[in-house]
Parts: sequence; structure tokens; C-alpha cells
Amino acid sequence: MEVEGEMDKTWRISQDEIVKEVGAEAARGRREMVLDGGPYRSRYTRNGRHMAIVGLKGHVATFDWRTGTMHSELQLQETCRDITFLQDHSHFAVAQSKYVFIYDRDGVELHRLKSHVEPTRLEFLPFHWLLATVGNAGYLKYQDTSTGQLVAEHRTKLGACTTMTQNQHNAVIHLGHQNGTVTLWTPNLPHPAVRLLAHLGPVCSVAVDPSAGGRYMATAGEDGIVKVWDCRNWKGAVRQWAARGGNGEVGWSQRGYLSVASGGSVYARPSIHETFPGTSPPPLYLTHPIPHRPLRSIRFCPYQDILSIGHSAGLSNILVPGSGEPNFDSAEADPFENKKARREREVKTLLDKIQPDMIALDPEFIGSLAPPSKLTTGGTDVPFARLPRLERLRVQGKADETEEASDHEGDAANGENGKKADREEREKRKMRGKGKSLKRYLRKQRKNVIDPKAVAIRAKLEKERNERKKAREAANGVPKDHKPSALDRFKRPP
Amino acid sequence: MVKLSVLQHAPSTHLPARPGDPTPTHRNLDPLAHPFARARERTRALNAAKMERMFAKPFVAALEGHVDAVEVMARRPDSVTDVASGSWDGEIIVHNLAQRKHLSKIPGAHNGKLSGLCWADENRILSCGVDRNIKMWDVRTSSQAENPEAGPSETKPLAVFPGKYSFSSIDHHRTDPLFATASSIVQVWDETKSAPVMDITFSTSAETVTGISFNASEPSVLASIGSDRTFTLYDVRTGKAERRLVMQMRSNDLSWSPTYPTVILLASEDHNLYTFDIRKLNSASQVYKAHVAAVTSCDWSPTGTEFVSGGWDRTVRIWKERQGTHPEVYHTKRMQRVLSTAFTADARFVLSGSDDGNVRVWKANASEKLGIVTARERAAIEYRETLKDRWKMDTQVGKVQRSRHIPKPVYKAGELKRTMLEAQRVKEERRRKHTRAGENKPKAERKKVVVAEQT
Repeated sequence: MEVEGEMDKTWRISQDEIVKEVGAEAARGRREMVLDGGPYRSRYTRNGRHMAIVGLKGHVATFDWRTGTMHSELQLQETCRDITFLQDHSHFAVAQSKYVFIYDRDGVELHRLKSHVEPTRLEFLPFHWLLATVGNAGYLKYQDTSTGQLVAEHRTKLGACTTMTQNQHNAVIHLGHQNGTVTLWTPNLPHPAVRLLAHLGPVCSVAVDPSAGGRYMATAGEDGIVKVWDCRNWKGAVRQWAARGGNGEVGWSQRGYLSVASGGSVYARPSIHETFPGTSPPPLYLTHPIPHRPLRSIRFCPYQDILSIGHSAGLSNILVPGSGEPNFDSAEADPFENKKARREREVKTLLDKIQPDMIALDPEFIGSLAPPSKLTTGGTDVPFARLPRLERLRVQGKADETEEASDHEGDAANGENGKKADREEREKRKMRGKGKSLKRYLRKQRKNVIDPKAVAIRAKLEKERNERKKAREAANGVPKDHKPSALDRFKRPP
Repeated sequence: MVKLSVLQHAPSTHLPARPGDPTPTHRNLDPLAHPFARARERTRALNAAKMERMFAKPFVAALEGHVDAVEVMARRPDSVTDVASGSWDGEIIVHNLAQRKHLSKIPGAHNGKLSGLCWADENRILSCGVDRNIKMWDVRTSSQAENPEAGPSETKPLAVFPGKYSFSSIDHHRTDPLFATASSIVQVWDETKSAPVMDITFSTSAETVTGISFNASEPSVLASIGSDRTFTLYDVRTGKAERRLVMQMRSNDLSWSPTYPTVILLASEDHNLYTFDIRKLNSASQVYKAHVAAVTSCDWSPTGTEFVSGGWDRTVRIWKERQGTHPEVYHTKRMQRVLSTAFTADARFVLSGSDDGNVRVWKANASEKLGIVTARERAAIEYRETLKDRWKMDTQVGKVQRSRHIPKPVYKAGELKRTMLEAQRVKEERRRKHTRAGENKPKAERKKVVVAEQT
């Protein structure tokens, strides 16, 4: 979306105008769903084709939003706090008042997960087949949905938690707590990998940017401030500003558009990664006023320019031009896949399931070199025959150390110190030979002090050197009174 | 005015144009579109390694027929399926591997042990035994499959070459009608003459020569091994022994590399195999260590990239050339000491003849699928191979790839051997430490095996 004049602003453009401009297929994304039963939350499948909604009073529905095919609709008659799809739209999990329940596509209850008590938020890690839940008791639990085992159970010790998100690129779970901290969890660590004091009040929403490889995290707090953090360096927020109305929800799109639902309106802003010292909000891209409070969830639809906002009167889907990733990969997530492809992909992803203990803050540690061991084996006398080849060559003095030598030269070029060390080395070598004490004596004499004794010795040495030179020349057959000339080099050797 | 564009996918471009067409697929090569690509690939590699071990069922068939230990095997020239085997009761059987039946059977070809067997051409076999005779057979006339009524006495050799000593090995020249025999002397015979044409024994050799082999690409070069721990090279053109190598322990079998004419493989009594470059005999070019008892036989694959060896430890091992450890190891409960091994001409199968009188057929690649492999299957296999190769340095993947189940006696023997070698090494180190510096230098393992080189 671009405007022409300086004075025009994109955020002034309303949804009606956008719908009028765009094609019919795209305009189907704009939709108002008026539903009763409390603030709604929504979730898309990974390919963006199917949508699941849940109302606080227990209304659950899953459907293909593009064609409008309803898969299941349930009235659960109890408090339902969150919903998530599992590997695809064929299963979904609902966080109900006491436990987590798993339903299949048609809404048939398959499992009741009794170990997840009073859950508030759900996340599904698709590559690890883990369902992560956090509840009012403050326990973070990981359940493997392929084997059914409870993989890990972490006590956060920070009370009830109502904010949870996952980083899609390293499968780390981000939790926001009532005391303003944000903690990052992996199944293999009993304590948070990162603990961060983000806000002065409770944290009400956390989101991770999928466009930059999970590098940025946005948090919104009850104190009405939105902060953007760099996940590689936690020293202070990259940018922070006060959102109007406070108590906002944040969400990132696939192309890096951040949406903030606070008070009664939604903003979407691209390119807010630059560090900014002030507290002014970044330039607005789009606004959409919604009169129904509270706004409980905000989700971008993958591979579409659609933002779905859940509020007390239902859901509104609005168009945010440019927010969705246009190029999908059929091997990863295909919005147009048929039944056969879906089944095949399910089997493939199950075969490629990553073990839960491989989750770490840096996912690239797999396949990289192991860090050098901190244990030292000093003092052991390794026999020559058992030494590695390079060590054996080094002992024999045959090792090719040219690379290290060049490094050493580089050091010498860098600093005066290295050069000096080099000279000292040479001097030390030089002294290995005859007349050691005499030479050392001469070296020690300062050159600018004229000492008759030293002068005499120098003259004597000079004389000896000349005699030796003459003897050598005589041995080589050079005539005695020969003056050296440049043409000597062309002479044939005798 | 405002320029607006909202993403919209046209469903028609993502659906097959006609029913039956493949669904169009789309690729996005942005690494961010493929989270956990490395971790997932590692999982795939681990699965591939596990699948390889799961499908490793190398045993194909046991070819029965012999009533005593199978001493020698020789594959028929220009044939993929046919192989001749000779046993200690003096019987020769020509097997067809594809049909798993006997093409011909010559019972009582020799009195006592049959010690050497080779093909003179497509249809004639030369055999020698401890009964001091060399016999030439025509496998077409001796075919028992055609007339099963024909008794063993019916088969007559084409020719008999009487010798003075009991023979231990025989090999035919690649092109000329010549063959060489090993007994206590090395003789060269002409097919048309009943007496040897030359005696090319090394001048100071007094012991039995146990194995003999012509080089394939330099056909007049001949190599032999003897019970006096020697390896000798001869030239038929000059008619004399050219060079001799005395080693620490005797060799039991020898085989020329089919692709590197200068390379020869020796199966040694000291549990190791050695390759030598005959241009440089003062050290072995590679030592192959894994057997836990004497290696009794060896044979190169026709590709020259791997070879098979059979040992007194009742195992068959398949080695990659230049890779001195971790061979593929095959064993069965009923297989006894392996006396002879051979690769088939298509390099897909390995044969082992053992003390229990059976010739066993194994796959050269344990997890290979026999039968028709479709293009998709082939692509998947190749992808898995690449994955395994790429991730072999990963601890888990490498461990799965390397692990082999071996029989308990073999494992225990290996453990004992390791302990003994370690003790020897420690003793050597201590001895070195307490002698004058430089007096007792360590000797390279490859040079240790050579005692003397004589011309």
C-alpha cells in the first residue's frame, strides 16, 4: 500500500476503501463474524487454510475460512481459554476449565489430558510434535502428541500465566508473567533459558517476529507500553512506546508487520527493528477501530494479507496489504494441498520428528563442531607411538608450521612488540656459536660511547674477517689484486 | 490517490489442470521458510542409518553338494553366474548361482584333497591335488545335469599331467596355453606337453610353495607365497624368480588387484591382510586389521575398490580398499572356518566356502534390495546414501553405522587380542624408555611385517 502525496497517510485508508480497490478473491478475506459467548480467540493452521475459534463461554468452531466449510462446531458449556490446531486441521486441542481436551476434525473428543490442570494457553511445536501448555498453577508442560508421553514439566514459580508464544525458528516457549518478567523455556532445562524483566506491571502479550528468523520479540504490558526486544542481546529494548489504551495484544506477520491491539484500535507497522532511543511510536501503517472490548487475540493468517482480531462480539478479519508471505513452499505448508498430500506430509513430518531435547536457543548447534572440552589431560605421558600424527611430526621437528609462522609475522607487523620479540629470538640464536662471550661483550658496549678497549677489539675482529675473506677468495681462485666488478657474476666457476 | 495490492492466490493455478495430473508444487528457497532444516536432515540421516542396519540381511543362499571342506573356488571367465569349487574329498562342482543348481559334478576328481582349481578357458577346468596329478576337465562332457544316470566313473579327464610332488596350487596364464603349479617347487607347464616346460623356483627356496597367481594385466608376471613366510615374484619370459620377500608370518592366500596391476593383496597368518605395491616392497601399502584369527583367503572385487576375506575365526569380511579398519562382517551360526572366498563378476555377491562343506552366497552390500528397484525407490536410496555420508561424523549416526553384532567367541577373542597387543605395546614403550635414547626406535606397522627383501 503506497500513497502519493506527502500529506496522505496510509493509516487514514479505511477497510471499506481497501475492499473496494482489491480483487474479489482478496476481498473475501474481509469478514465480520458476530458471535456471542464472550471474547473470542482464534488460531490458523500452519498453511493458513483452516481457522479455529473459541469463545470464553465455550463456543468452539473449526472451519475452512476460504470456502466456508464448517468442520465442527461445539458448545462445550464451560470456560474455554485457548485453542490450537495440532499437526494439521485434523486434530485440535482446547484449553477448557479443568483440563486440556483433544478433538478430531469432526469434533469428537479423543483425549482428556488430565496432567494439564487449569490450562490457560496452548502452543503446538509442529516439528517436535509437542503440545506445550501453561496454566493457572504456573506449570509449563510439554506433551508429545505422537507418543502421548509427558516430556517435561517445569515449575515457573511465577504464578498464574496467561501469556505464551513460541518462537517458530527455535521452538523456544516465551512466557509472560504477572510480575512483569518474560521467561524463555526449553524442555531440557529445568529453569528458564532467559529471564527478563520487561514491564512494570503484568505482561499481557508476547510475540516473536517470524520474518527475521525469530530475532525480535515484542511485548505489551498492563502499563500500556509496547517494547521490541532483540533476542540476541537482552540489554534494553530496541524500541518502546506507549500504546493508547493500554492492555494490548501484539502479533507479528510473516513479513515483519507488527500489529498492536490496544484500547479499541489496531495498528500495523512495518520496519520497526531499528534501535530508537525515544519513546515515540513508530510510523503507523494501518488503523482499524473496533468498538468491542476487550480485544483478546490478534493473529495474522499465514500466506494471506489478513489479520484476525478476536473481541467480545466475535471476530473481525481485516485486510493488511503486504503483510503475508506470497511464496509458499509445498513441502512445508501448502494452502492448496489435497487430502493425499496432507496424509503424506503428516507421515513425512512424523518421520522427521525432532527429539525434544534438541531444542536450544541457537538451533544451528546441530551439525556444528563440538566445543573444545574443558577437561585437560595434563601430566599424562602419552607415548610417541600413540601421539597424533601432527604431534609426532612436531616432536621430530618435521611439522609444517608455515601457517602459524605467517600468523606470527602478522602479529609482528601489527605491533612493535612482536618485532622486538622476533629480534630477541634472532639474537638468542645468533649467540650459539664461537666467540660467544666476546660478541656478547661487544654487543653490550654502547655504540655511542667510545671506549678504546672496545675500539681495539672491533678493529682486530675486522682485520681477522678481512683475512678470512682473502683466504676464501684465494681458495676460489680469484687473483689477489682483483677489483670486484659487476661482470664477475658471468664468470664460469673454475 | 493510493496504490493498493493485496495478496490473492488464484486457486486454479494451484490445482491440477485436469483430473489425473500431478498437483503443481511450489518452492520457496528462503532458509527462513524452512525452520529446523538442519535438525530435520539429521533426523532423516539417523533414520537412514537405522534403516540400513534394519535391512542388513546379507545371507542369500547356501549351495550344498560337497561332503568335505571347500578348499578352492574359481569363477568361470566371462560368466556372471558360474563358479567352480573343489573340496577336500577331491570333488569338483560347477555351481550356477542364479538357478542355485549344479551345472556339473566330478566326484573323485583327485585322490585325497583337491588343492588347486582354475579355469583354462570357458569350458575347461584345471585341477591339482595331493595325489601328485594335474587334471584337465571339460565341464560340458561331465555335465551331470543333462544325464543324471552317468556315474562318477564315467567322467574322464581330458588330460592328466603327472608330477613328482603333491601340488598345492595352480593358476592359468591369461592368454597363452600355459599354467603354473606350486608344490615344493614352482613349475610352468604347457597344455600340450605332459612334462613341465620350466622350473622357476627361487634358488634358495626349500619349503613348500602354497599359493600361486598370474598377474592379469602383465600376464607373464607370477607371484607365489610359501610356507617359509616368503612372497616371491617370477617372470615367465626370463624364466626365473625375480624377487623375494621374507615376512614375519606366512601368508595363506594372495590376489592381484584387478584395477591396479602393481598391487597385490596377501592374507596373512598374523590375522591381518596386507597390500603391497610390487615396485616398493620394503613396506606394505596398507594393513587391514580386524580378523581375530588367521586369514585364510582373500579375493578382490572386479571393481578393485573392495575385497573379501575369510578367516579361521569363522567370519567373512568385506573391506574397502585403503580403509584398514571397520570392515563389513558376515557370520552364521552354522558356518565353520572359511577356507575360500570369492567375489562374483558383477561385484554384487560374495561367496564363501567353509569347513562345513557349503558354499554360501552373500550380498556384497548387506542392505541392498534384490529384485526390481523402481526409479523412485532408487532416488530414495541414493538420497539416504548421501545423507548417511554427510552426517557420518555425527556421534549418533556414526555409532549406528559402525555398530555390528558379532558372535560372542569372536568378540571375546577380539577383546583378548586387544589386551595382548596393548600389553605388548606398553612393554615395548617401557623397554624403549629404559634404553639409551635413539637406540630402540619404533618401527612403522607397515614396515614391521617385512623381514628381508631378496633378489
